[in-house]
Formats: sequence, C-alpha cells, structure tokens
Amino acid sequence: MTDVTLIVNGETKTASVPPETTLLKMLREDLNYTGSKLGCDVGDCGACTVLVDGLAVNACLMLAGQAEGKEILTIEGLSTLEKYHPIQKAFEDVAALQCGFCGPGMIMTTKALIDQDEDVTRQNIKDALSGNLCRCTGYTKIIEGVIDAYQEITGKKLPEIKPRAA
Amino acid sequence: MKPFDFIQPATIDAAILALAEYSPNVRILNGGTDCLVELKHVAQSPGVVIDVSRLQGLKGIEIVDAGLRIGAGVTHTEIMADPLIKEHVPAMIDAAHTVGAVQTRNLGTLGGNLVTCVPSMDSGPTLLALDADVTILGAKGTRQSSLTDFFVAPRKTSLEPDELLLEIIIPKENLGKPASFIKFGLRKGQALALVNAASALWVEGNKFKDVRIALGAVAPVVIRASKAEALLEGQSVSEGLIQEAAKIAVGEAKPIDDFRASKEYRNDLIEVGTRRTLQAALGASNIQS
Repeated sequence: MTDVTLIVNGETKTASVPPETTLLKMLREDLNYTGSKLGCDVGDCGACTVLVDGLAVNACLMLAGQAEGKEILTIEGLSTLEKYHPIQKAFEDVAALQCGFCGPGMIMTTKALIDQDEDVTRQNIKDALSGNLCRCTGYTKIIEGVIDAYQEITGKKLPEIKPRAA
Repeated sequence: MKPFDFIQPATIDAAILALAEYSPNVRILNGGTDCLVELKHVAQSPGVVIDVSRLQGLKGIEIVDAGLRIGAGVTHTEIMADPLIKEHVPAMIDAAHTVGAVQTRNLGTLGGNLVTCVPSMDSGPTLLALDADVTILGAKGTRQSSLTDFFVAPRKTSLEPDELLLEIIIPKENLGKPASFIKFGLRKGQALALVNAASALWVEGNKFKDVRIALGAVAPVVIRASKAEALLEGQSVSEGLIQEAAKIAVGEAKPIDDFRASKEYRNDLIEVGTRRTLQAALGASNIQS
C-alpha cells in the first residue's frame, strides 16, 4: 500500500491505496468524490477529466501516487448546494446535457479552457472538447453552453463567424 | 491493473540504479497515457513500475552546444507553448497539437511518444526530418543515437531493458530549417494517423538543399523517403519536381490495408502529404528569405 495525500478542492485528503490505484479510483472509492465518472477507462472519453495543478487530465490515466501532493479540482469543487458555477449555470440554461454522464468531464475541460485567460474561438472550443465524448446531444448545445460561460466569466465576446464569400 | 511495486526515484541516477536492479521485470512510467492503458490490459504484473514523471532532469527545453535539447519528459502541451520551439522548430508545435486531445497532451511526453514507437506516432516524422538525435542513459553510461537507429520495429526501440531515454537533440545546423508537418486521420480530433508526414529543406541559390522527407504510419517504423529526397537534392526549385518527388515517395512506403483505410487510400495520402509538406516547407523558406 502507498499513502497518498492530495489537495482536493482545497482540502487535504490522505488515503492508503495499492500502487496500481488510479487517481480516478482513489477519488471515487477512497475519498468519495463520485462526480468524476468512469467511462472508457483508457483515456478516450474524458468523463473522468479533473484538473491537476490547473491542467485538464484524464484521472483514469494517472496513478494516485503520481498525483501525490498535487492540487486536484473536481466537479464537486465548482458548485455549492446554493449556487452553481457559471459554467454549470450556462450548461443548464441551454440544456447542454441530456443523460449528464459526460457533464463533469465536459465542465472541467471547459473550466481549464476558460482559465487559460486567452481569447477563444469556436474552433478552440471544439479542439479543447475533442477529448470529451457525448453520446446524447451531438455537441451543438454543449458548445453553446461553453460559449455562454466563456462570455459570462471573461466579459469577452466570441469572434463572429464571417459568412463565406458567395 | 495487476498489482506491481511502485518506485518514485528522486534523481535520474536513482532511476538508473532501480532499472539495473529490477530489469527486465520493470516498466518506466512517465505521462502514462500509453503505459497505463497497456498495464490495464496485460495478463501478468509488470513487476516494478518506476515513475519518472517528477524527475526535473527529464524536463526542460534549452539551447545547448549540440543544438536544441528537449528533455524526454517534456509534455506535448509544454512543447506547444515553448518560445524556443516556436522560434527554431515551429513544425513541432503542429505535430504536438495533433497528439490525442488536450487531456493526453497535458500528461503525455515527447519521450514517451518515441519510446512507445507505434508506427503512427505523431512526434516521429518532424524529428526524423530534422535529423534529431537521442541521448540514452544506462548503468554503463550515456550513449548517443540517431533517431533513425532508435526506431527498430513496431513498439520496439534500441533501448536496452536497463536504459532510459534522457533527451532529444535537434542538431544546431537544423535550427530554423524550414519544415512542415501534416497528419491525416479519420476525423480532426483525437484520431490515430492514417498517414502523417514531415518535410524539411533549405533553399540555396534557388536550389533544394538537404531535403528530408519523413513518413509515419506507412511502414513498421517512421521512415525517410530517401529516393524522393534524392530527386530534389541540388535541383532547381520547381513545383513540377515537388509533384514528381511526392509520387516517388509512395513507392518507398508499405502502408497496411485495414478497417480504417485501404492501402490505395493511404498511398494517395502519402503523395498528398509529401507534396503539401514540401510546398509548405518551401513556403516557409520563402518567408525567411
């Protein structure tokens, strides 16, 4: 067993886990943060996306021991029972999610994108979300939700898409 | 995953000692985006897993006497944001951007991409086109190798079980060399390459010089299209010659036929990829001069 200490959503948490435990498994089964989902378990679907020291990573592809001492932000770190995070609010307002399974990953990837503090285009959003699969919605509403959240949080406007020349 | 012993050495020397002690029943773990996927599917425990993801000695991008040194543990995201890469080898940014999705690029490393040595690796062609070398450390000391010699077969490099890939060096004379990378997949995001390609060349006195063409996913390892290179070498710059070289490159590859794409389609992609990267490298050369 390995003792692993993480800073999850600002709180220091320790658990003793077998070395082959992934960060995702430790979060869900040892620390009871079940917001991050186990989807494909091979890094294709992004349902397990969390931020590690601010970067979006697939928690299924990192050993808990590799995350020792690092700051982890999960979906539970965004909202309180009283108040949604603006990304969650935007996703709800446009009905971005249907079954919701991909939601925590989509929202954490969106958080990392907006936190970069760079101007964002629609293409940047598609690129950023290419590692998060949704099998319900077809992505249109999700991208709308990201745009709304980006504009709400940063106060910036997404560049208009120029109509193609006739 | 099958249970294993987990070691997190504090220094590269400690990692090498651990490798020597436990090899061959040992795996090096860095970004984990390939390694952990594999460890989830193997029937037997790998024995010992050595985590090198915290070793500062594997990090860093810097100019050294030999050229541009990129630590094997540098992530694809770090490559995309690095000012020295942007200045000296911008084609590497395009290549890094095509690796997986943002989650993969944040963890996955350049060294890991090379060591995994799948034919469709996206880091290979640009580095091969720039004559990159690698530095390898083992219990017996360090050795240098060309990247060409480093690639042996699918999922097999020249690394001995007790050796560690330390760094990748782009030779000094190739810094700023006009180069271009292209990848064709079944979709834009998170796709394996059907074909990827990179070209690099100088233009001197309106003649092609030191032309390099590298192709990925079309042979057991990433290859150079040396006949196509030879056709251009020393010749006057011409669009027709580029088109002819692209056709010759097709004959130097042996792409597979599988559920993702037919051999014929891949052959077409080789020609298009070779032509477009040569044209783009030439375009970059025109901008420089």
